[in-house]
Formats: sequence, C-alpha cells, structure tokens
Amino acid sequence: MLLNYNSAIKILNKYKIRNVESAIVSTYDDAVKFWNGKGMITMKVISDKALHKSKNGLVSLYLSNPKQIQDAFLILKKRALKLKLGKYKIVVQRMILGGTEIIIGGNIDQQFGKMILLGLGGIYVETFKDFALRLCPISKNEAFSMIDQLKSSNIIAHDAKSRELIASLLLKVSKMFSENDFVEMDLNPIILHDETYDAVDLRLMSDKG
Amino acid sequence: MPVKINNIEKIVKPGSVAVIGASDKHGKVGTAIMQNYVDVGFQGKLYPINISGQPSIMGKKAYKSILDVKEPIDLAVICVPADATSKVLNEAGKAKAKGAVIVTSGFSEVGRKDLQDELIRISNAYKMPIIGPNCLGVMDTRSRNDTLFLPTAKIDRPKIGGVSFVSQSGSVGSSILDLISGEGFGLSKFISYGNAAVVDEVDILDYLSKDKDTNVIVLYMEGARRAKELTLIAKKITKAKPIVVLKGGRTESGSKAAHSHTASLAGSNNAYHAFFSQFGFIEAEGLEELLWYGKIFETQPLCKGNRVGVITNGGGHGVLAADALYQNGLILPELSANIAKNLRKIMPSIVNIRLPLDIGGDAGADRFSAALSALSSDPNIDVIMTITLFQTPGADESVASAIIDAASRKEKPIVVVSTGSTYTKSHTSIIEASGVPVYESPDAAAKAISALVKYSKYKGVIK
Repeated sequence: MLLNYNSAIKILNKYKIRNVESAIVSTYDDAVKFWNGKGMITMKVISDKALHKSKNGLVSLYLSNPKQIQDAFLILKKRALKLKLGKYKIVVQRMILGGTEIIIGGNIDQQFGKMILLGLGGIYVETFKDFALRLCPISKNEAFSMIDQLKSSNIIAHDAKSRELIASLLLKVSKMFSENDFVEMDLNPIILHDETYDAVDLRLMSDKG
Repeated sequence: MPVKINNIEKIVKPGSVAVIGASDKHGKVGTAIMQNYVDVGFQGKLYPINISGQPSIMGKKAYKSILDVKEPIDLAVICVPADATSKVLNEAGKAKAKGAVIVTSGFSEVGRKDLQDELIRISNAYKMPIIGPNCLGVMDTRSRNDTLFLPTAKIDRPKIGGVSFVSQSGSVGSSILDLISGEGFGLSKFISYGNAAVVDEVDILDYLSKDKDTNVIVLYMEGARRAKELTLIAKKITKAKPIVVLKGGRTESGSKAAHSHTASLAGSNNAYHAFFSQFGFIEAEGLEELLWYGKIFETQPLCKGNRVGVITNGGGHGVLAADALYQNGLILPELSANIAKNLRKIMPSIVNIRLPLDIGGDAGADRFSAALSALSSDPNIDVIMTITLFQTPGADESVASAIIDAASRKEKPIVVVSTGSTYTKSHTSIIEASGVPVYESPDAAAKAISALVKYSKYKGVIK
C-alpha cells in the first residue's frame, strides 16, 4: 500500500533527497496559512487510487491569493468525493516555475530484484517512454550511462554540472530503494531548476498491509 | 541447500561414452545418436546399451545394462522413454558415470515435475551432473563428442573454431548450428540444456568462461532460471570473453497490475535489456545478428575507437556504408594528411583521396593492397570495412588474397562487405575460412562493428 505522505517525506529527508516545501491541510484556512502571502502554491489530492492526478483534475496550480486557494480546496474535495477515492489527503506545496521534469523510480523485478529507472518526467513519461533502467545498486559510472542512454539526455543534463547533479541524485535514490522495503516507487516529477532539483511528487508503495 | 553439482568437464569431453537406448532400427533417436558417434569419428570408447540384449550395434559390442560394461564410463547419454529414464540413470550412477545427458522428453515441460524431481534426486545421490532432460545435449568439435540426434546428412557440422553456442531450446540450437556451418566460422562447443533440471545456464556459462578453446560465447535464452546467481558471476564471465545473447519471448505478459509509472515501464523484458547492458552482454535482435556478432568476435581483435575507414570498389556501396555507419553510431573519419599524400602518389587520378575511399571498378589486388595498408597505418582509423564487389572486372582471387594478407596482420579489425551469388560466394567463403568476417550489406557490417565497439568500451580498450 501507499506509504503515508509524512513518512515518505521523512525518508526522503533521511537520504538527503531534496523535496519541495509542503504540508497536509485539512481546512482551507490551513492552506492559506501555508501560503502566507508568498508567491504561488499548488494543491493536490493524494490517494492510493489516484495514479493519474492531472488527468483526473486532482491538481490545482498557480494559486496566489486566499480566494483562489479556497476555491481550489472546495473543488478538489468535490472531485475526490465524485471519484470515490475513499481515504485521501489534500497537500499544498510551494510552486516551482519553469525547470525540467524528470522521473526517478524503483521497481522489483521477479527475476532480477530491485531496479532503478530514470526518465523524462511529468506528463511525458508515458507518451515518450524515454527511460533507462538498471539493477540496484548502481555505481556512479552506471548512473552516467543511464543519463547517456536517454534520447532526452541533452535536455535534462546539458552540462557537466547537471550530469553530476543527476548522477549523485540517482545514487541517493538507489541507496534509499536498496535499503528500504518498498515494492514500487515513483519520484515524479523531480524538477530540475536553478542548478538544483526538488522532488515534487512521490509514490512509495510498501508491501506491508 | 545441497552442494551444486555442476562440473561438466567429463560430459563435454568424455573419454568413454555409454549410449543407453542405442539402436540400429531406422528412425530411432538411439540410432541417430549411435550413427553420429560412429560417423564423426569419436576418439574415445563407445558402449551401446540396449535392454533387448542384441549382441552388437553398428559393429560395437552391445550391453543390456551399463552395469555390465565393467569399464570406467565418463558420460551416459540417455535416450530411453521418460518412464524408464530414472531406472537407467540410477544404474549409470551405480556404474560411477561422471555425468549424463538426458535427451528424452516428457518431464516438467509436459507437467511431469514428479519424474524430473526423481532425476534430480538421483543426481544428488551420486553427485552426478545431468544436462537435460528434453535437450539435444553436447557437441565438442575437438574431442568429437556429439550427443545430437540430428543425422550428419541433414545438418552440417561446423568446422573447429572458437565460438561456443549455448541454447536452452533444441530447435533454435539446431537451426543455428546449421547456419553457423554455412557462415564458415568455427565452433568450439554446442550445448543445448533443455529443462535444466540440474545443470543450467549459469553453470554452463561459468564452464565456458574458463574453457581455453572458447573465445566467444553465443547464447540463446528464453528466461534465466537463476537470475540472481547469474548477476553474481555475469561480470566475471563477460570480462573474460564476449557473450552475444538473443533473448526469446520478448512479448510482455503484463499480468501484474502496476501502481506506479515505474512499474508499468519496467516490464520483465526491459529488466533483461537492463541486465544485459549493465553486465556487458552484447544483445542481438534476431538470429541473423547472433551470427553477425559471433563471427566478428571470433576472428577480430578489439578496437580502440569507433572510426571506420571504408574502402570500396563501387561508389554507391560507399554511400550506403557511410549511411550505415552513421545510423549505427560509428564515424567515417578524415584521412590523416600524410596518409592522404602517400595515397595520392600511388592511386590513379580517377581515385578521389577521401573516405569512403572509392578505388574504382577496375581496381585489382594492387590497389586493394595499397589502400588496406594505408588505412591500417592511419592513426585516424580504428576499424577497416572493405567493400569488395566481385562482379567488377578487376576483382578476382588475387583481391581475396590481398584482403586475407592484410587481415592476417591483425593490426586493426577488418571486415568485408560483399554482395553477390555464385562467383562472389566462391571467393567470400575462402575469405571467411581464412578468418575475415564477410557481410552481405554495409548495414550488417556496421551493426557488427558497432557490437565490437560496445564490447571494446566495456573492456576498457576504448577509453
């Protein structure tokens, strides 16, 4: 089942994997407090049953005043109810403008065990299916070879610095996936921006009921 | 966990063989196997075993049971029906056979796991390795051990060489064997391991990686039985020698419901591709590529880069070659200045001194030799592709000799592209027999070079 949001964030922090500032909110007042008059935020519904959030209208972007935040909160609640998601939570996050979206994921193959994946992320994952896959754990050279294998390698890693950034992130995720009992994992998207990155959305599935 | 029984040395190179189920009746598997041992001239002792008690089979004294032989036996080849197999295997164990090949089918592949488990039990009891059941078994071109039940009249036996071929499937195995003979490159060992009850691909790859008569391993597999163990020894094997692999069964089953994008992308075939590329295997996309790659690795040295110098006696083929290089991640470089200067002095004015080097439709052995030796010494070139169209007036057996000469110096990998029928083939078969791989199209040659580049990188020959 899906690991709860706060525990998942805790694990990312333990492995020093950067993630965007976020909070679970139960009222729209909480959401407005989180916003605190600064820039833009996003709001989304998270649930075991909601893999394709954007497609189902479970994400609101560019929220920059209390009215927008309140409206978004009410609409998302209504949609969650309509989709019969059962248990769900609403999460608010600082919004990152621009940048390039990648996915880093993990899966357990029946034959080979734990595998790690790097690909062009966000909404492009399933359209272009541009990804590289390796058995865990990976070495730094293997991390570089994953980057080089992508058709989009020039888009996501255009210079030595960004290659280094992604390679070291891959090593951290490989370590995290190897040392924990997740069965499936999506960090998607991770946004590369301003010479750094932030994990924006994540799904960590554990086989423990 | 019992100790793994996997020493197959005496199965591959036995000094003595008992064929259990040997026969001389037309159309029987036991007849074909006996006939092959006689026909290929097996050097060791041969004991036909048949329960009927006939005194001799194909001129060899026959026995009712392996226990009656009373001489040391290395290999028992078993081709009796499935329900009689465990009995004769048990007798082979008692007779202290060093190993068995069980050709017979009718075990786990048809749901009779119980019969197969009995074979495993006997193997463990006598510490006797088994290849099979449900397999073609083993052929070793040097000792002429040959358990294959394919009559020599129906399938060519390849010449002796350095390629060892491993196949789970018997049918893919035998058709590739026939094709290898046609390609004119040499075989070391052929092993078809069927149900892999005891000895499996991990044991066989491990054995071949240490075998001094094997310099390339060509592998056809549908699935790994012990994938985890394979990952543990894979790098050791692929660092020792190149393994060209074709994975059958590429359609995704997709039975598992994915909860993440990663799981939906990372299906079992993609996991295999990942494993192969990460662990230094050279993956082929079909039977043809398996052969293309096998023969370049058998005969050519590794390369120091991906720059390919093309010589041609046909302009159009030079253009096709340039395209094929580009499509396969290879580079058509510039000639270095002093090499170009020398070539200008030697070549007639109709020859443009640039790559692809088109030496003209009237080029004979002189021009081929001069071009080959120039490209061999050019530091801008890592691999040479010689397009030799034998339909042209200048090309004859002296051109073939010039190519063989240049290649025998082994300075750089050399491959030949030659397209044509009877007259062409009469020359290309001599070129191949002399250890220079010949391809029918620039694209096939470029794919083979690209595989060589990949492995040279893995080995660190290309930095």
